Formats: sequence, C-alpha cells, structure tokens
Amino acid sequence: MTAASLNYSGHLHFRHRLVLSVLSGKIIKIDKIRPGDKNPGLRDYEVSLLRLIEKVTNGTVIEISLTGTAILVKPGIISGGPVVHECPPSRSVGYFLEPIITLAPFSKKPLALTLRGITTDDKDLSVDLIRTVTLPHLEPFGISDGLELKIKKRGSPPLGGGEVLFLCPIVKQVKTLNFVEPGKIKRIRGISHAVRVSPQFSNRMIEAARSVLNRYIPDIYLYSDVYKGEESGKSPGYALSLVAESTTAALHCAEAVSQPGVAPEDIALQATRSLLNEIERGGCVDQKHQTLVLLLMALGSEDVGRCRMAEPTERTIQFLRDVKDAFGTSFKIIPADKSNQSSHLLYSCYGTGYVNTNRSLA
Amino acid sequence: MSDERTHKAHHPSQSGKKAEKKSTGKKKHGVTNDKAFAPRSGRRAEKQGRRAAEKDQTRLHVPLVNRSPDDVPPPVLVAVVGPPGVGKSTLVKSLVRRYTKQTLNDIRGPVTVISGKKRRLTIIECNNDLSSMIDIAKIADLILLMIDGSFGFEMETFEFLNILQAHGFPKVIGVLTHLDLIKKSATLRATKKALKKRFWAEIYQGAKLFYLSGVLNGRYPDSEILNLSRFISVMKFRPLIFRNTHPYLLADRFEDLTPREQIRLSKGKCDRTVTVYGYLHGTNLRDGTKVHIPGVGDLDINSITLLGDPCPFPTADSEKRRKLSEKKKLLVYAPMSDVGGVMYDKDAVWVNVPGSFTRGNRDVPQGEGEQMVMDLQDVSETLEDAVARSQIRLLDSSCKSLSLYPFSSQHTRVEDDVLDQGSDEEDEGREGEDLASGSDGDFDDEELPYSEDENVELHFTGRSTHRAGHRSADILYEPEGSGIDFADSDSDLGDDGGGNIRMADLPRDSDPNLPTDTDDEAEEKVPKWKSNLIDQANASFKLAQRSKAKDWTRLIYSTALSPHQIVRGEPNAADREKDEENDDDFFTLKKATDVDADSMDATKETYPSDQLTKWDNEEMFDSIRNLFITGRNDPSAADGDHDASGSDDGFDEDEKINSDGDEGNPREVVDADPQAASLAVKKEALKRKFDEQYDDPESSKQDFYTEAKEAISAQQALNRAEFADVDAATRALVEGYQPGSYVRLELNSVPCEMSVHFDPTRPLVVGGLLSAEEQFGFVQVRIKRHRWHTRTLKTNDPLILSLGWRRFQTVPIYSLDDHSVRMRMLKYTPEHMHCYATFYGPISAPNTGFCAFNSLEDSVAAFRIAATGVVLDIDRSVKIVKKLKLTGVPYKIFKNTAFVKDMFSSALEVAKFEGANLRTVSGIRGQVKKGLPKPDGAFRATFEDKVLMSDLIFLRAWYSIQPRKFCNPVTSLLLSSGSKWTGMRLTGQVRREHNLPAPHQRDSAYKPIERPGRRFNPLKVPRKLQGALPYASKPRLMKPQKRTTYLQKRAVLLEPEEKKALAVMQQMRALRKEAIARRREKKQDRSETRKKRLEKDEQKKSEKKREERKEQMRIAGIKNKREAEREDGVSRKKRKT
Repeated sequence: MTAASLNYSGHLHFRHRLVLSVLSGKIIKIDKIRPGDKNPGLRDYEVSLLRLIEKVTNGTVIEISLTGTAILVKPGIISGGPVVHECPPSRSVGYFLEPIITLAPFSKKPLALTLRGITTDDKDLSVDLIRTVTLPHLEPFGISDGLELKIKKRGSPPLGGGEVLFLCPIVKQVKTLNFVEPGKIKRIRGISHAVRVSPQFSNRMIEAARSVLNRYIPDIYLYSDVYKGEESGKSPGYALSLVAESTTAALHCAEAVSQPGVAPEDIALQATRSLLNEIERGGCVDQKHQTLVLLLMALGSEDVGRCRMAEPTERTIQFLRDVKDAFGTSFKIIPADKSNQSSHLLYSCYGTGYVNTNRSLA
Repeated sequence: MSDERTHKAHHPSQSGKKAEKKSTGKKKHGVTNDKAFAPRSGRRAEKQGRRAAEKDQTRLHVPLVNRSPDDVPPPVLVAVVGPPGVGKSTLVKSLVRRYTKQTLNDIRGPVTVISGKKRRLTIIECNNDLSSMIDIAKIADLILLMIDGSFGFEMETFEFLNILQAHGFPKVIGVLTHLDLIKKSATLRATKKALKKRFWAEIYQGAKLFYLSGVLNGRYPDSEILNLSRFISVMKFRPLIFRNTHPYLLADRFEDLTPREQIRLSKGKCDRTVTVYGYLHGTNLRDGTKVHIPGVGDLDINSITLLGDPCPFPTADSEKRRKLSEKKKLLVYAPMSDVGGVMYDKDAVWVNVPGSFTRGNRDVPQGEGEQMVMDLQDVSETLEDAVARSQIRLLDSSCKSLSLYPFSSQHTRVEDDVLDQGSDEEDEGREGEDLASGSDGDFDDEELPYSEDENVELHFTGRSTHRAGHRSADILYEPEGSGIDFADSDSDLGDDGGGNIRMADLPRDSDPNLPTDTDDEAEEKVPKWKSNLIDQANASFKLAQRSKAKDWTRLIYSTALSPHQIVRGEPNAADREKDEENDDDFFTLKKATDVDADSMDATKETYPSDQLTKWDNEEMFDSIRNLFITGRNDPSAADGDHDASGSDDGFDEDEKINSDGDEGNPREVVDADPQAASLAVKKEALKRKFDEQYDDPESSKQDFYTEAKEAISAQQALNRAEFADVDAATRALVEGYQPGSYVRLELNSVPCEMSVHFDPTRPLVVGGLLSAEEQFGFVQVRIKRHRWHTRTLKTNDPLILSLGWRRFQTVPIYSLDDHSVRMRMLKYTPEHMHCYATFYGPISAPNTGFCAFNSLEDSVAAFRIAATGVVLDIDRSVKIVKKLKLTGVPYKIFKNTAFVKDMFSSALEVAKFEGANLRTVSGIRGQVKKGLPKPDGAFRATFEDKVLMSDLIFLRAWYSIQPRKFCNPVTSLLLSSGSKWTGMRLTGQVRREHNLPAPHQRDSAYKPIERPGRRFNPLKVPRKLQGALPYASKPRLMKPQKRTTYLQKRAVLLEPEEKKALAVMQQMRALRKEAIARRREKKQDRSETRKKRLEKDEQKKSEKKREERKEQMRIAGIKNKREAEREDGVSRKKRKT
C-alpha cells in the first residue's frame, strides 16, 4: 500500500499545500520551484517554514533536491508541545503563523510556539491582526479555550527582533459553521503601534483615522501601543491596524505599515481606506481569512456548513482546488441573494468529518 | 381493485355472550379502587417519585446523529449466524418465504427483501469461518444468533459474541432450534431456562430469545417465523459510532470486467478490473475515497455509479394503505443466488431453461458432437496465436519463418469490444451519440452493417459501436455527461463554452475549451453545421456570461482556467495562448509572467491607488453608509451598493448599463413586495418570541438533552434543504452518494485471486477509509488477554488483529506504565489486567475497539479470541524501554571515591554515561565521574559512603526498543474457500515444527548458590594493650579442660523401692501400648468394610452412567445419520439443477 500523493509544480501556494498535505497525511511533491529564476529553488523563508513544520510534527520526512527546485514531504503526525523557532528576516512572523494556526488544533498536545523575528510587515498579516481577527475566526469552530497570541516584543523590518508566543488548544473535531448573516458594522477598533520612533506618531495616526471613520460610526476606539526599550526590537517602525466588527461578529480588517518618507497621517488614511474597501466588499469573512474559514469548514463534521463571503480571490480559488485534491471536498458556490442584489456568494460544503486522530486517549 | 372495495362496517354485538362479556369487563374496570394505588406514606411517595425520575433518566442516551436519510434508508442488514447444522439456511429460507412468498432453494449471498413501507432487509447467512464472522460483525445491524437447543452453546457462538463486543455491539436476537429433539417436556423446560439464563448473562438481562420448534416442509412453522419477523420489523437501531463515520456496503453482486483477451494472454494472472454492487450504508461515499475490502486489501475506486434501486420502496399509490400490498411483497433481490432460474452474472443475466444442454452437466450422456463443441470451448488460445507460434517457411531454404503482422484494424476493434463489453455506460453514451447524430438525420448507426460502422466512428469517438445484448441498465444518473444535457437548450450549450461534437464522451472534469488531438483530426471531416455550432456556442457563451453571473462551482472545479483568469473573467485566455503557441515558430519568446506580484505568497493584498482614492469622492463615501448600524436601511441604498460592487466586477461600462436596463424594472416591482413580506415575517417571528418569553420564561429554556437533540435535527434539516434543489452531478460532487442508494463501484487493479476464488457465501464488505486510515504508523492500544484464552501472549509473537475494517497480522510489544515516567516493556501479558501494546500497522482513530487472535484456523479447539482492547494513541515513534543493568567492580578505593572497571569497554562509552547514577549491592548510591585512561572503560566514581572491594556496582539504565515494522494483511478472500491462510507463525509453533528446544542461555540458568563460609581471622590483641585494658575487656585466655571430671567418672545404683516403681511404670506402659494397638486394628477393620461398601456403590453408579451414555450416543448417531442423509440429499439436488 502506497499512500496517495499530491503533485504540484511551481512555488505558488506553498503554504496551504503543505498544510493540506500534513492534515490529510498525503505525500506532497512540488517541482519546478522557480526554475527560471536568477536564484532558483526554495527561498530561505520557505526552507524555514519546512523546518518549522518538521518541528511541530513527528515523523515528517522532507527531501529537497540538490538545486532546491523540487521537494518531497512525507508528513508525519502533528505533535505540538513547546516549540521555538527563529524566523528569517525576509518574512514576518505572520507568514509562519498562518499555516501553523490551521495545524495546531489537530495536534497531539497543545502547542506553545515561540516565534522570533519581524512582527509587522507589509506582506503578511501582522501579529496584531492575527491576534484580533484571525484567532476570533476560530471561535465559531469550537477552538477558543486557551487560544492566545502574546506579543512579547515587537520587531519591525528590516532587522526584526520581535517575539510572540502562540498558544493553541487541541480539539477532537471542529464544529460546523453556519454563518450567513453579515450584519452591520457596529464598532471599529484599532491598534496603532510605534517602536523606536516618537510615540507621537502613533497618536497622529489615530487622529487621522478617526477623522474619516467618525463620520460613519461613533463607536471607535483606537489603542496606542508604544513599546520601549528591550521590547521594541531592533528597527524603528510604526503601523496602524483597524478592525470593524459587525452585529453578527463578522470581522473586517485592514492595516498599513510605515514607509520611508510617508507621513503617519497618510499611513493612517491608507489603512482607513483599505478598511472601507473591505467593508464595501462585505460578507461574513474578509478576504484575508477566506482560506482559513473554508479549510475549517471542509474539515468539519459530516454536515452542511455554510458561509457567506465575497467573491473568491485567486488564492482562494487555487485553495479550493487543492482542497478537492487533498480531501475530495468540493464547495457549492452560489450567489447569496437570488435577486442579485449583492455580489456575495454562499459557500456551502459537506464536511469531511475530519477527526483529530493524533489526540491520545490515555 | 382491492382498494376500491368498501369493507363492511363493524357492528358490535348487542346481545349474546360477547356483549355480556364486554359490559362486565367495563364494569370491572370502573370499580377500581383508586385508594389502593395511592402511596401510603409521604416517604413512600417520595421514594416512588424518585424511582420514576430514575426510570426517566434511563431513557436518555448521548444524542447521536443518524447519518442515513429518513426517506430512503438503506436496508437493515440481518445476519444469520450459528454453528453448522443449526438451521441457518432454513431460517433464511423461511424468512424470505415469509416476506416474498417465494421459495428460494439455493440461497447464496445477500438477499434483499421489502419488509414494510419504510423498511427493507438484506438477509445474509454467515458461514462458520472466523474471517467471515469478523466481517459480518462489523456491518450487521441485527444478528439472528442461532443456537442448537439440543446441544447447547458452542465455542463459535461465544467467540462471535466477543467479536461483536469489540466492534460495537449491534442488536442480537437469539434463536433456539432443534427443540423438537428434546422429547421430555420437563427437560425441554429446563433446557430452555438454562440456555436463556446463559444467553442473558452473555448479552443483557431480558435479551430476546426465540424458540423454533421442528421443521415443516423444509421451513420453520409459519406462525413462529411470523412472530420473529414482527420483532425484526419493529426493532429500533441506535447508530454505532464506527459505522456512523465510515461509508460501507455489503456487495450483493460482483463482476469481473477485465477484457477476456487480457486474461487469456496473461493466463489469468493479470490484475482485474471488477465492479461490486450494493446498498450504501454509514455516511456519504465520495469520489476519491479509498476503500478497504477485508480479506483483499486497500483499493482505489475507479468510478462510482448511482443505479436504480433494484428493490424500491412502495410508492405513493400503495402509501394510502396501512399494510404493504401483496404485489410489493413479491420483490426479492438476490443476484448471487438463483431466483426463479434467473442468474445475474458478469454484467449479464442468464435465464436457466431446464432440459436443454448445459455445460458441466455430467449426468447427461454427451454425444460426440457435443463433446467436440465443448472441447472447442476449452481452447485457451486463438487460432491466430497458434499460427503465430507455428513456423511456416515459404521455401524449404528460407531461414526466416513467416510472421504475422500487427493486428488488423478489425482485430483491434474486437478487442475494444471486449473492453467495452458489459460497461453499463456504453449504452447510455451511445444513446447520447444517437441523439446528436439524429439531428443530422442522415443515418442511424443501429441499422448500419458492421463494416460501415467503422466509418461512422471516425467522426465520433473511436469507440466501437457494436451493440451487444446487454441487460438494460436502469441508470438514473451518469456522471459522464449524458446526451440529454447536450440537447437541452442554447444557454446550456453556451455553458460548455466551445462544447463540440464530443460532448457525449467528455468526462465531467475535462475542459471543453482545450482542443485535443482527436479534435483536430475530427475537424477535417466536420460537416458545416458543426463548424457553425462552435461559433454559435462561443457567441452564446459570451451572451450568457454577460447576462448571467459566473457559475463559480463550475469555473473552479470543472475548468482548467487559472485562478487569475477566473477572477479577471477571461475564460478564453487559455485558448488564445494555446493558439499562439501553435502558430509560433520553434523558438518562442518566454513571456514575462505576471506571477511576480503574488510570488511572495502574501496574505495581505495591496489595493491599487485608485481603489483607495475613490473614497475621497463624497458620493462613494456615502454609498456604504447602509453597511453600518448608523446608516439608513432602505432599498435605494442597497441599489447604490449594487452599482458600486458591479463596477468592481470588471465588466465593461456599456455592459453594466445594459444589464441594469434589463433588470432594473422588474426588480423594482418584485422588490417592493418581498421586502414588505419579509419584514412582516420577521416581525411576526419576533412577536412570537416575545410572547413566548413573556408568558412563560421557563419554557424557552430547555435541558441539555433536548437542546442537543434539537440542534442535531436542525442541522439535519439544513443538510437536506441545502442540496434539495441541486442537480445530481453537483450533488455527487459536493456531498457524495447518500447511504441508501444502490451504487456500482468499479475497482481497478484487484488481485486476480479475488475474482478467481470468488465465493458468494463469504461476505464481501467494502468499507470506506478516512484520510487518516490510509497511513501507517505505530499504534498504541490498551489490551487485555481474554480470560478464556488459555495461553499468555508473548511480546514479539505475531498476533492477528481485527481493527477498523482491516484484519492484519502484526508483532506487538506489550508494556506497562512505570510510575508515569516510562513505558516499560513486558515479556508477557499480565493476568487479569490491562496492559499496553504497541505495534506497527494501519492507523485507526483513537477509541476504536479491536479483537485479536493467535490463529484463525477452524482446527483450533480452544477459544480463539486472544485479547480485546481499544486504540489509545497514534504516533510515528515509540518510547518503550526495557531495563538494562550494567555491572562493574571497584579496583581501587579511596575514601568516598572508587575506580571502577568492567562496566564499559571504552572511554567513549564512559563519556556517554558521565553523571549517571550508580548503586552498589549494599545500597550505597554514587555517580559516574570521569573516564580513566589506563584500563579501557574504567572510570572514577564517587559514592555517598566508602564502598568495599567485594561490592558489585550497578548502573541501572533503560534500553529503548522499537516494535518490528511488520504488518501482514489477512487476505482470506484471495484464497479458495476451504484453504487456510498462513501468516507468520508463533515462536512456539516454529520450534515445535522444527523440533527445536527453547533457547537456553547458560547465564540465565539458576544454579545452586555456593556461599563459601567467611573466615574471619582471630582477633589478636597485643600483649602490651592487654595489660592496659580494664579487666572486663580483657580477652579470656582459657584453655578447654582435657581430663574427665568427677561427675563424668562416678557410678549410679538404684534403691529397691526405686526399682519396684520403675518396674510398675514399665508394666503400665506396656498395657497402654497393647490397648492402643487393639484400638487401631478395630478402626482399620471398620474402614475396610466402609471402603468395600463404597466401592460397590461406585460400581453400581458407573454402570448406570454407562447405560446413559450408551443411550445418548445412540441418539447422536441417529441425528448424525439423519444429517448426513440430508446433506446427501442436498448435494444430489444440486447436481440435478
């Protein structure tokens, strides 16, 4: 008996393919990883992610070809427990946390992962967004008790120096999601942080954001979070992350990170407008978390789960195809309103009945 | 007709005995004394109340979801199990007769009948093979456990009950038979009572036990069977957890689809393609699921086809009646046994016409011609092969013989035919082609002669169009797109993009837009109307796309468009690119791919600046106000929202206007009404909720049990509703095939032995596997040796496990938890206690039960179930240790330090153990410090006290051991029935067979312990010191006396009185001795007579016993004889048919 394998080529969608492989236990082969590039093969952060997955699992075999353009991963079981990982400065902590968040609930022991590196950058979800938006997305799936992300130190690019502690409980099976009411935005929260720069920057961002958002809704609270000394990492930087919560606890988020030569007010405006874009797009789940929610829906018990979202992004489309390869689950995607009033879609699927077999009984 | 006839109304009798009885009966009822049932005291009332509450609690169970649909549930699997000769077949026949009024004389495999308006039964007889019993125990919903009343329980019965227990106890009804053999009524009663008691002890107090008296006309008495069937029809089943998480089916039909030619060429050894048919049970079966067939192995499903129900429930017309109509009762589905001379075989139906010539009928004398025809049938190779083998030379001198050239087209066609033959799709698919070609109106290939057929198929698919006389398959739904879809409507045409003539053949997943080689070939000969068709289709597709929203499900799952193209809405981009590539020269310029943007695999998307700056526009800004709680909630705002989002979709401006113009008007009209209506509905619901809470705040709160049950039923309602209006293809794609549906599974690369040795009397179970169960790893289980199994289990001895769907042999290591610090290996399983076992094998979810066997052979007389247990943990590595004691001796001792040698052999080993704890035999603890250079492996150690040179020094270490990676599936279905499966043998078995003694290590033998007496040197106190010592401490320096003393030397004489007294004493002693001797003699006499008497009694008793045994044997002999006769009769009958 040879285990089924997933074959892909190209470096895209590396993370969710790895996650699907580990969850489904299928061997994954990826070839043609940047074959035509000046610097062919895996990047340092991708190798680092493979190392991290090796750390949180037991029995994983990773084979990387000599040129680095092809890999083979034979996944083991997700073991969890205390893990420490040093992230390279090329990507932020969010890059590593996102796949781990989907794996951690299905591990043998509760995961306590310490990640060191950059905490906020312009490519991946910052730790603030993960803490305030990503983790609450797990709550309707029954993953909530003991789920926590502690930001011990902040680290801005390019040098980083931040540290976060991610604690995740284990579950036997995720609950079925039925989330079709997007509701209306009832409050907006935000965190504006500044490290190794004047704390005034943070206040200026808050002012600017408020000036726009207050016209919509009065319930706005933007925290100013200034880290000092040891906890502020190695490089200066600041950022504003905004979260809009609806009456049915749907979350939409946006963020903007400091850029050289741009005033904090402009950063705040950028974040605010991105948030408005997100709100306009609507749905119960924002774009950045579509894959997370869809994966957990597919892993649910053998019942119909439903979620209303905006149109799928490219990542989501590829993700849906990969889920079909790994679990055989397809989603039914139909317009949410028959009357064609909004562009929202209703994603419904029949869960695979994925049970955390790694969890020990004794 | 019977429906129309009005029944005579019932008139209760007004006079006579019945009326009298009724009136008195009523009166009696009215007289009841209410006080008699009232509690006498408050305490008693309280007690009664408590009892009632307790009884109420027993009703509650953990709410479980039943995955099988309510409207068309799968048939209940009823297994008839029992030792041979107990009357299993008779019971099955009787039950089938009861339900269908038909007598089946040779029942093989499952029989499906309809037992009621909402219930079907699949009855299967389980043979006495342990493998079959295990498989049946895993799937049966109801067990009819048959027990020979005249004999009592047999070992198999107990074994089967224990197997059931390990795999989630299904419902069991006991059936006692052969009660007519017990003549005396008192004995009968006693036997019934004793057997019932034992049965209850084994299952539960009050388990249902049926008594079947003798056999009439080869069946059990109708009234008793009727009773039994009533019990079966009202039985309720609680879902079992394992079955409620896995799809499975019991195959009631099995066919080998491998091309005959391939089999012939490989001499029957090639892997086969087989189909199995059956009703789905458990959960939904989805495409891509791996299945396990116990006894064969893991297999991939090639395709799943939903077939028409061969045993459908009665429809609405008979629904009005309370009972099942008589017509419906006649339905019986048993493809493996002959039902009314009809045999289903290899995708064909054989009708048995008795009297005519049949093969294999040796009884009938065969003529020469018949013999010749049969010999021809036996030929295993074609003429062509023979010619190819034979070496014909044209000329006598030519060295090369004539060779036959690659097969003619005709030949390949024949092969294709064989390949295609029997597949049910063919018919359907061909019908689709007929439809397509029918519009042309030129030809009808059914009427075409054989040779012309070939030309036609060039236009089409290259598929043979030969129509064999197949059974008309009643296929409801075909995943391979059927022809009816093709001709549906223009818009549908558009849906399939460049859908072309190959529609009927396109697999569902393939992309119709991608031109394939066959297409190119086909295009040359395409008639005009067809080329037009493509353009039309393209045009209509564009139209459809403009007017309709994207069909995301199809775009994502059934096209090869890249995500980028889907989002941007360029469905033909792939086409264009392909075309360009085709037109280009040999060298093509490598395009700068736009993957760089998302090459970072970033979650955070960056909006282009115009997306952000648009919010400066006040109108834009206000357009999303309605999305906030502070915003207005009116349709006009929603409309604005729609416009805004519409611009995002990336459509052209004019299109948008167009679409708005089209839709705007009707929407407004429609919108006004539903808006109001929905508002009214909402208000109504709110009002009701408020009323409820206001009137009775307690009522809205429910206990946990009801709440959980309601949540389950709500979810199930949602499950049903979500896919109610979806077409079958999407439904199969998204939710799979529902339990209760009759499906055909095509399995690829099945070992040929399965097909060759297929035996319908062995159950063929197809169990779906979860994704985790396909993997291998180390499984830790909690295990307990069965108390009836006679031998202890030994670590590293093979054990056959039945776990999940699988049966496999593996090599476990037993262990116990040692103070929660380590897992310590055990050599043998402990008595009457659970222990852990770890083995390498296929993974099963924790909490799955299993049972274990040392051997599955029938020849074993003892209880075969060796152990039972449950899976605890799954891992890829194990930490089991066994104790390892290293010993050494000190060779130099300082104060608390000693140099120790003979423990290690090199300095490297010492370095590894630095800091390890040591202990001497006398209990002094110490530590390894550092290696010494001189004797290899010597080291310095410190202790808490000074050690002696004579002390042994221990280092207690733990040596980790790994279970062997051995896992051997029990492939019982690959063997011919009767032959036994041989796996790895037990160590003891191997030794016995090779006549080897158990290995004996000299060191391990117990030898008499020789402890040389320890000699202590005399204490010498120097004379000088002696003088200084106080007197009490001075050593006593006395020599022993050498001369005899006076007391030793003197003589003693007696006085006369003393002499006399002594004599008297002696006489008295003599008398007493005499008396005792006499008494003893008497006693012996008495005991001897008693012994004699007892012996006589014993003789009498044994005589009587012998007589009894003789009688018993006589009866048994008669029974055996009768049985033999019966079997003889059966076999003779068989030969006749």
